[in-house]
Amino acid sequence: MISIKNLNKTYASGALAVNQLSLNVSAGEILALLGPNGAGKSSTIRVLTTLSGFDEGEVTVAGFNVDSEQEKVRQSIGYVAQETGVDYFLTGRENLTLQGHLYRMTKKDITSRIDELANYFELTDVLDNLVSNYSGGMRRKLDIATALIHRPKTLFLDEPTLGLDTPSRQSLWQYIRKLNDEFSLTILLTTHYLEEADKLANRVAIIHKGQIKIIDKPEKLKDEIRGDVVSLQFSKPENKNQIAEALGRNDFVKDQKWEQDKLHLYVSNGATSIPRLIESCSELNCNVENVSYSRPTLDDVFIQYTGSSIDASESDSENKWWEKWAGKGGGGKWAQKWQEDQPDESTTDSQWTTEEAEQWHKNKQWSKDETAQWQDNKQWSKEESAAWHEDQNQDQNENQNQNTSNPPEQANSKTNSWPENNEWKENSNQQWDNSDNKKWPDGSDK
Amino acid sequence: MLADTWYLFNKYVKISMRMPLWSLFSLIQPLIWLFIFGSLFEYFADLPGFPAETYIDYFVPGVLIMTVLFGSSWAGVSLLREISAGTVDKMLVSPASRSAIVLSRVLHSAVQVVIQASIVLVAAWMMGATTSYNPIYILLAMSVILLLGIAFAALSNGLAIMLQREEPLVIMGNLMTMPLMFFSSAMVPEKFMPEWIHAIGIVNPIEYAVTAVRSILAAEPDLNGFATGFGVTFLFSAATLYWAISAFKTYRD
Repeated sequence: MISIKNLNKTYASGALAVNQLSLNVSAGEILALLGPNGAGKSSTIRVLTTLSGFDEGEVTVAGFNVDSEQEKVRQSIGYVAQETGVDYFLTGRENLTLQGHLYRMTKKDITSRIDELANYFELTDVLDNLVSNYSGGMRRKLDIATALIHRPKTLFLDEPTLGLDTPSRQSLWQYIRKLNDEFSLTILLTTHYLEEADKLANRVAIIHKGQIKIIDKPEKLKDEIRGDVVSLQFSKPENKNQIAEALGRNDFVKDQKWEQDKLHLYVSNGATSIPRLIESCSELNCNVENVSYSRPTLDDVFIQYTGSSIDASESDSENKWWEKWAGKGGGGKWAQKWQEDQPDESTTDSQWTTEEAEQWHKNKQWSKDETAQWQDNKQWSKEESAAWHEDQNQDQNENQNQNTSNPPEQANSKTNSWPENNEWKENSNQQWDNSDNKKWPDGSDK
Repeated sequence: MLADTWYLFNKYVKISMRMPLWSLFSLIQPLIWLFIFGSLFEYFADLPGFPAETYIDYFVPGVLIMTVLFGSSWAGVSLLREISAGTVDKMLVSPASRSAIVLSRVLHSAVQVVIQASIVLVAAWMMGATTSYNPIYILLAMSVILLLGIAFAALSNGLAIMLQREEPLVIMGNLMTMPLMFFSSAMVPEKFMPEWIHAIGIVNPIEYAVTAVRSILAAEPDLNGFATGFGVTFLFSAATLYWAISAFKTYRD
């Protein structure tokens, strides 16, 4: 249904988006392109849908060449972009009707098709409401419906559940799978959610830096890793090679991959190998901060083939508008200097030394958003929150306005030492002390 | 292509009808200028050789053209909004004619400024301006306004595609409208202009549109003057529209 041979695409900015990519999608299959932002997923899909040109390669969709037979390709595909392509100021019905007209359908056909699609996506009740009143999930369903108005056989979904909450995401997965089951629609979707690729796709293609690293059924990919994954987090390992070599001498270690200061080891049995691995580490005098082990997930497959976790390799390298203008009009030098002066935000928490983290916290002015986000990320144990709470109440009794207590430190994370400035404390007062009815981050009542 | 243009044009009309306040807001500026300039320059008319009875009589064609400039020169901003919202991609993956996408947007802006200009004209009458009341002449004046609206909406849409960003687009919009307006006889009769500004007027499309509207709305319409102005405005709008459509057709990353 879709065939790509040696596709090359470079953006005008010089960024290489797709590098010698080849891929075949057979009729009736759901194939997921899995990769972080900037891996080349969207670029590939934009070439397939005739939205983008390309430099080299041979690409056909539904038997038509995407370069020389654009019209025919367009007529036979449906496309749902990352951004909702439906118009907010029109009703659902008007959106569908307009799309039908653009696909040159007759009025009668459009009307009957709208009924069919509204029924299928359970949008009948809201069909005459303005889209601006729809929820995110409804909007996405309408978007898919508009893409299907002309009964295409191939559907392209670019990050179909991006920004949706979990229930809407799962419900959308059901619709997508049903479309594939009932109408044997060929679906090519891109995603950077591992779960989505795992649950939805017949085959998963892992894409990294514009190239497909591996393509197979999700179960097979996970099976290939066999056994368990033990991850050792080191604090500032200086001798990575030495560590890897020493640990690799254990015969139960089948493979290993460094991801920054974390070493992922693929072993036959996680539970029995951990003590022996730790032992090896202490012989080397290197400090293991944190150990975890798990059954392989697609992320492990991803690490195996790309050398980094999908979250860690997120980069928004595509189409930065200012790159086009940067350096023109005399701003270039200044911009460069500014960039150099900025603290490196990409540094992840795990790379920080304790001193650095403390220093950072002292200097940082916390915004409300950040505080809230921190709250979300922090996993509070019941004891911790209870203890902190007690402190807090005492302090409040002693002095309403001067809050000097700190919450307990979590054992092995450096990021949650608390900032020591008054702004933050004001936040904490507002958000926590006075909110009697608020649930605590661990879900317990005050 | 015509059918596609019609459906898309309908879409934009529907959207504007749902936000009538915005169309109203863009009316405020020309109305204020009509009022302020009308009062500020009132005594200009006493100068010897002033070509009209009162200043407001002279100024009406100018303010109509100003309505066009301020109503359609930022039409491209909403194209950028549509691009980032993903609706343009949705049109582009459909077999819809690419020309129709530009044409419908441009026509929508132009029709909008014609409606605004009509309201401004009525307001000017209420403020005591006298023009020709012949409906045919008024229609002809409005046709010039439609053409100029098409031209500036096309320029703005084409620039939007080229610049891809709102900020520079707005700067360009300002750069286009303000000087062009002051380099024309919209507010000040040619006679009172320095020679060099008058010279610039020869290549200023706005000057021709102002002349056309002024000739046809005069108490004694000058059909020759109108025809020249109309012709130049027509060519100008055809050229800009062609440019915008070809810019849009090459819009493919």
